Amino acid sequence: MSQLVVDAHSVGKVFGKGEGRVEALRDISMQIEAGEFVSLIGPSGCGKSTLLRLVGDLTTPTSGEIEINGKPPRRARLDRDYGIVFQKATLLDWRTVRKNVELPLEIMDVDDRAKIADEMLSLVQLGDFGDHYPWQLSGGMQQRVAIARALTFNPSLLLMDEPFGALDEMTRELMQQEVLRIWHETDTTVVFVTHSIPEAVFLSTRVVVMSPRPGRISDVVETNLPQPRDEDTREAQAYYDKITEVREALRRQEARA
Amino acid sequence: MTGLHTHLPKALFSPAMTTGGEQRGRWELLAPRTRKVISIVGVVLFLATAWELYKVVWGALGWIRPVRPDNVVMPHTWDMVIELFQPVRRGGAILIIDLAARTFWTLREALVGFVVGAGIGFGLGVLFVRSLLAERAFMPYVVASQTVPIIAIAPMVVVWGGRLDIPQWLAVSVIAAYLTFFPVAINTLRGLRSPDPTTLELMRSYAAKPNEVLWKVQTPAALPYIFTALKVSATASIVGALIGELPAGFQNGLGRALLTFSQQFAVQSTKLYSTVIVCALAGILFVGLVSWVERRVIPVRAVELDLETGIEPA
Repeated sequence: MSQLVVDAHSVGKVFGKGEGRVEALRDISMQIEAGEFVSLIGPSGCGKSTLLRLVGDLTTPTSGEIEINGKPPRRARLDRDYGIVFQKATLLDWRTVRKNVELPLEIMDVDDRAKIADEMLSLVQLGDFGDHYPWQLSGGMQQRVAIARALTFNPSLLLMDEPFGALDEMTRELMQQEVLRIWHETDTTVVFVTHSIPEAVFLSTRVVVMSPRPGRISDVVETNLPQPRDEDTREAQAYYDKITEVREALRRQEARA
Repeated sequence: MTGLHTHLPKALFSPAMTTGGEQRGRWELLAPRTRKVISIVGVVLFLATAWELYKVVWGALGWIRPVRPDNVVMPHTWDMVIELFQPVRRGGAILIIDLAARTFWTLREALVGFVVGAGIGFGLGVLFVRSLLAERAFMPYVVASQTVPIIAIAPMVVVWGGRLDIPQWLAVSVIAAYLTFFPVAINTLRGLRSPDPTTLELMRSYAAKPNEVLWKVQTPAALPYIFTALKVSATASIVGALIGELPAGFQNGLGRALLTFSQQFAVQSTKLYSTVIVCALAGILFVGLVSWVERRVIPVRAVELDLETGIEPA
């Protein structure tokens, strides 16, 4: 069995106290092995983003335990074990694209920053845009820069929080293709939050289906679609079958609720 | 949009519109610097004309409200200019030379106060953004400090400065700093809080230290806010210096000249008017200097659409 990157045991998260108390997550247990591509999917309020933020130590669990690469999340964050991409590209307006990609390297005191940044920009096919400013790029290009930035320091884990949520459908499909290519070229483990069923199925090795109030894991769908995935995958019967499977898993929770 | 416009047949434009377009075209052919000079001179001429027109009309109709248009209360604009080239006193230097030296003196006081005040203001902004407790504890006093009239504070500072044996002009700088720090502190605080939470989470994911967040994210994000404050402060620091000079013992500054000439106002008002104009010019110079620095520090977000294609230049 290969190494566990994420190991969560009956994790719960509660926001607030008394009247305003909201139970965001209840009894979440989840193991993710190195090299997996796992999507978290579910309706709004199912706590999928909260779960991702717990993994990244951007918030702390109220109960239960999480380990990242065998360490507490805080230790993993301080060791820079993961890179993160948000729905917004969150690029710094006053820095060029290259300087934006260099940002984590500056903080981590890495040498040869410009060279690494240019390699990463080539990886996301923006090799010629290093001297541009973020506001000169389209939304899709900005999100590529954010991905390049998250990968500069070779994190073993890539956390993506609805990274393509703000993009149009065509750009979105292109970006999905890109992420898969990058996932193959680097050997990163990816945890990907989305509310698009086709996106989850197309990208993942495993889809974790969550249900809301409180957020729980209701189903796990192994996709088993052949790799590498490409435009043909989107037209394959197996792909549609998996989409149906995930959709039915989401429907079942509605019936239960 | 512009692209659409150029595809419209010319006949759709009325002759008047075409003429207007051509005139604007000619104006835009001028170098930006020339255009700037023409607009500045234009405004000055407009104001001078309005002033003289008021004198003529009010004089002819015998009106005295709001202001009596006689040559003491409202001297001719050309007399103000001529006054600049008259000796201040018999055998002395002409007024404009005298005022130039005074301007230099007052600007130095203001500049020193401005730099110190801006530094203190930035420091307070950083302190407050880091500690809510410090903000709650000190902010009321910071606000209170600005409601106390500077006229009341200035003599105290000058006297204390004298006890401490610091040069008097430096005591005046303290007063300038007193007026400078407040807008900078408030705007720095606002600016340091301007990055969105996601950007701060990103920095957290890199395990960035608070100082790295401050210098790499918060301060650059705050710069537009800080420069806005600095422009306000630039004029405030000159006001502070002018007022600070009133109780001070020396004769060198523009503030002293304002005081002296205001005492002669009933007899000869042109000197005061000329000095007021010079004070205003000093303020414009100072704010211009701050804007010049701003343009060099903050990269221009030049989303200038190419007029022909409507495509943003790469």
